[in-house]
Amino acid sequence: MKLHSWISVLLLVYKVTAELEADVFPVDNEVDSIQQEVIQETRKNGTDESSSVPPSSELLSLEDPVQYNFQENLNLTPLPNNFLLASFQFYMQSETFGVNRNEHESNVYSHHTVFPKPVGPIMSQTNTRQLHLRFTHGLWDSQEWGQLPHSGLKSGGNGVELWAVIEGPSKEKAMQSWITLANSLSGLFCASINFIDSSKTTFPVSSFLPTEDDAIPLFNENSSLYLIRAALANEPICTENLTPFVKLLPTRGKSGISSLLDGHKIFDSNWHSLSIDVNTICEDNTGECHYSMEEFVETVVNVPNSLARADRPIPKPLGGDELRCDTNKPHDAFQCFPLPGSREVDFNISKLFGKKICGSSLLGKTSSKICAHVPSNWNVMVQVGDLLFTTDDNCFNVNSNEPHDVHFETSDSGNVLISKETPLHVSRALTGYGQDRGGLRSVFRNPSNQPVELVYFESLPWFMRVYLSSLALESDDSDLTLDSVVKSTFYSPARDRERPTHLERKLVIPPNSTLALSFQFDKSLLKYAEYPPDANHGFEIEAAVATITSPERYEARSSSLLLYLSTPDFSMPYNVIILTSTVMGLAFGTLFNLISKQLLTLEEADRILASTSPKAKLLRLKGKIIGLLKRNNTKPAKIAKSE
Amino acid sequence: MSTITLRRLVTLSFALCYVLIGLPLWYKLTTIYRAPLPAEYIESLHTKIHEDIHLTIPVYVQSNLYQFPDVHDAIQAQADELLKSVNEEQRRVQWSLQVLPYVEGKIDAKDDYVVTLVLDESMGLTIPQFGKETIVFFNDESVLDNDLPFFAAQALIEHTFKFEWENFSNAPQKSAKTDSTFKNMAVSYDPNIHISISLLTGDSSPVAWDIDTALKEYLTPIRELLSTFVNFTVDTGIEYHNDLNLNSLVNKSSISWNDLSHTLDLSELSSVNHYQEQNSINLAIVFPSAETSSLEFANATEDNTNWKSFLVPQWGVVVINKDPLPVNAYVTHDYLASVISTFANDIFKLLGLSQSEDDLTSPLIKIDSFKRKIIIDNLEKSITTLSSLVNMTNHLQQMSIPKEVLEDVNNALKIRLQIVDLLNNPELGGDETWNEALRLSNKLVKVCERAFFHKEMVQQTFFPQEHKVAVYLPLLGPITVVTFTAFFKSLKEVLTKSKKCATKDDGKDDTTKNEELKAE
Repeated sequence: MKLHSWISVLLLVYKVTAELEADVFPVDNEVDSIQQEVIQETRKNGTDESSSVPPSSELLSLEDPVQYNFQENLNLTPLPNNFLLASFQFYMQSETFGVNRNEHESNVYSHHTVFPKPVGPIMSQTNTRQLHLRFTHGLWDSQEWGQLPHSGLKSGGNGVELWAVIEGPSKEKAMQSWITLANSLSGLFCASINFIDSSKTTFPVSSFLPTEDDAIPLFNENSSLYLIRAALANEPICTENLTPFVKLLPTRGKSGISSLLDGHKIFDSNWHSLSIDVNTICEDNTGECHYSMEEFVETVVNVPNSLARADRPIPKPLGGDELRCDTNKPHDAFQCFPLPGSREVDFNISKLFGKKICGSSLLGKTSSKICAHVPSNWNVMVQVGDLLFTTDDNCFNVNSNEPHDVHFETSDSGNVLISKETPLHVSRALTGYGQDRGGLRSVFRNPSNQPVELVYFESLPWFMRVYLSSLALESDDSDLTLDSVVKSTFYSPARDRERPTHLERKLVIPPNSTLALSFQFDKSLLKYAEYPPDANHGFEIEAAVATITSPERYEARSSSLLLYLSTPDFSMPYNVIILTSTVMGLAFGTLFNLISKQLLTLEEADRILASTSPKAKLLRLKGKIIGLLKRNNTKPAKIAKSE
Repeated sequence: MSTITLRRLVTLSFALCYVLIGLPLWYKLTTIYRAPLPAEYIESLHTKIHEDIHLTIPVYVQSNLYQFPDVHDAIQAQADELLKSVNEEQRRVQWSLQVLPYVEGKIDAKDDYVVTLVLDESMGLTIPQFGKETIVFFNDESVLDNDLPFFAAQALIEHTFKFEWENFSNAPQKSAKTDSTFKNMAVSYDPNIHISISLLTGDSSPVAWDIDTALKEYLTPIRELLSTFVNFTVDTGIEYHNDLNLNSLVNKSSISWNDLSHTLDLSELSSVNHYQEQNSINLAIVFPSAETSSLEFANATEDNTNWKSFLVPQWGVVVINKDPLPVNAYVTHDYLASVISTFANDIFKLLGLSQSEDDLTSPLIKIDSFKRKIIIDNLEKSITTLSSLVNMTNHLQQMSIPKEVLEDVNNALKIRLQIVDLLNNPELGGDETWNEALRLSNKLVKVCERAFFHKEMVQQTFFPQEHKVAVYLPLLGPITVVTFTAFFKSLKEVLTKSKKCATKDDGKDDTTKNEELKAE
């Protein structure tokens, strides 16, 4: 009796209290746990006042859509020799946040709308104020194509390049944050950025400096900002790096121009570059900050090749009737002198990228914009459904949700907009032969009529032991001296396994001239375990960076190099162990015998041999056998006698 | 001394050097450092887990009308009896109440457990939602029958300390069915947990939502309430073009959990691990895309709401909406308020705090009990970790045990004793003690895991015995053969010679004796 009344009273009291406190602890009184295993259904309060309000009031449709800080552009620029540069540009901004915000405070929430969720926490955990990441691969033909897009500021050397402005109380702390940053980015972009350690990291002095317009905020007055940089030249750029890039976008590659980004097409190109730049921007008076991010994907495709690949995914020779033969020369079913490539071009970008643009991105203030930069003999049209449109400036806004396509046609594809000439051509090569020493030669060619001032940044691995004293200048102009070219040098020598050689030289290249700077280095031996799995491949040396400050701001990079070090035979250590051990064992045996065995004169030895040598033993055996035989012969005679 | 004796001595000394100096030195120089772990102690702790723990929870009794001078002793006796009634083998941890008289001014009903005896017409009890008070109603009859102490004891153990009663004493539970369901629901405990709230829509049309105020209204109180044992960090986000693969469930009017768990694609939400915390709870509010049109199953409930929420074990909550978002949608505070308040309720389940809806009678008592459970769980976890460490090192004899591991193990055992002292001391028992013990136990788990996952041990950069033999055999083989063949040869020589000598000596003795006899 007791327990029953007990429970009923308890339930009654409980229900009263539950209703009193219902708004803070919404409790569902009607529990029915029908679904029992993996997914447990829970239900909203049946008597909630919100359910009496019609649902339409919960989800409103705004007359003016909310506009986020997101913008996307696609620039298409035909280049000489039937190449096409496609530049996808995305700009986004985060929500604002306070400078000294503690995430653990119960009133603090971080909200994300168009800005990617993972980037903010990485930046704040590592106190990074500016982040620049480059994935570049391929060769930009600056002789033919002119300047790099965005004056080279958005592309890196071959492989991965990362630099950041990190706030920290000391250099060591900033370095720790840097390592954390590299590891986080490595996970985010599926790249081996985690191989960045102190032996690959430099603190640039006059290169990579942030421009004066971006005032980098300092969150803590007692700390300072550190510019840190590293590059991994042997990193292959592949689809698994593009997928996370696309995932960072709010449209996730499903609408807007990002729907064209397909790894198979982007990387099937002569040159491609993925870049990310994140800045922290703070309001001076309010202490509120936000991140702004620029995400660029740029690629140069060879149009005829890509179109051919789209038509015939498996390469097959063209049929006889499709061949374009030179009719001035003999041609029949068996011989054909091909004509030079056709100058008549007619293609859709959907054929180049494999897809059409799936409508507009509606998130930003402005809709997705596509611009083609072509001279007047090109015809550029945007295709929406079956309709084709043109505009005066060849720029189109993608407004509707229909699939869009861009159509290019011209009778002379050789005629393209002349891009600005590169202010300086830089190339670098390894010289010398042999496995113990080598040289490095950088060639600078200034094609313009103005002297070019630049900062030449080189970061060389510690196993290249550089002789700065061997720096030599080669030039046609015999009046030119080293001092007139190299204005100043910053040099931080390498420390074995700890930091790389860091060289920054301020150079002035006279107008219309070519000169070469070269120096020598020794190759050091690595430890047995320091060789990578494919040691015979060689070691990639990251590109040198030329930051041109005058006459215009431009960044040029040399190609990366492949350095051969002497590579051991990896079974050698064990062989050495066995050989030395055997020699030592032999030596020991001889020595031991010498001191432990008795020395005898020849006569003594003969005497002993006479009794113990095999010959003597054999003789003894013979004697025994003969004796036995004799005994056997005598025995039967005796028996016969007794019988 | 003849040269032959000298040479025999040389052979002997080489052999002795080999055995007495060479072998021990070689062994010493090639053995791996293995710090001596207190293996036996850890094993004994592991086999008799929690044996040295006896939780004591102080409870204060006050009576507002009658004065019972010895009622606390009576309740104590009844409570002890009730706790003893459980099968000893089933019991997980020993625990008991310490029933003390109420002292005015010293005790606060907010911080300490107080039992208030109130005279009423019938028997009953209530546990107010805020505070840790248990009010027991009694009538004169019960006083006369002397039933009151038993009621009070029963009220305390089976209601106020129900959680301990079920978890520590393993008392038979009323709702055994729900238990198995909820056992795997909770995310593993960690002092820092991340909450990730996402609004997902299948479309690309921009969405705005009034999330900040809704969170501040409905989630902040929960964060404050739970702040003593878990710290949350929260972020929110909007994702477009992601409806968790719901479009494949369009034409179903009702679905089973099986359909849903096979269809929902949470990988994109789970794979992004950008927060520092190890564990996370997710809330995904999903709207189907406009092309999908409405999902019929999402409003199968009798109320008029257009959404339904599903708990995903160890992951979080998925709120599925029936209708797609309107174009240029604005998700209002009203909508989010109901969603977030339901989610706030589900957080308790995902933390393992409550198992069913009616569990949350008095959250403060519940949270305190939960803290005790975490402490005990942490102790168990750390002892299991240490025991696994000992087992692993025993199995892999070639694995080195660095000094740091030993230090960590000793440190862990020291912390464990500190915690046990805190738990066992009947003088303590206030909020401070439990918080301190919880803090220490979290530290304990960390220290144990650091010991187990020590880099040198995890990397397995140890050489197997065969390698050692392979490397040393080319040197040791020839030397051993040379030294010992010479040694045994000379030994044999010495033995045969001494035998010969002995027989010769015997013969010599006889002849001399004969000669002597002849001479006589």
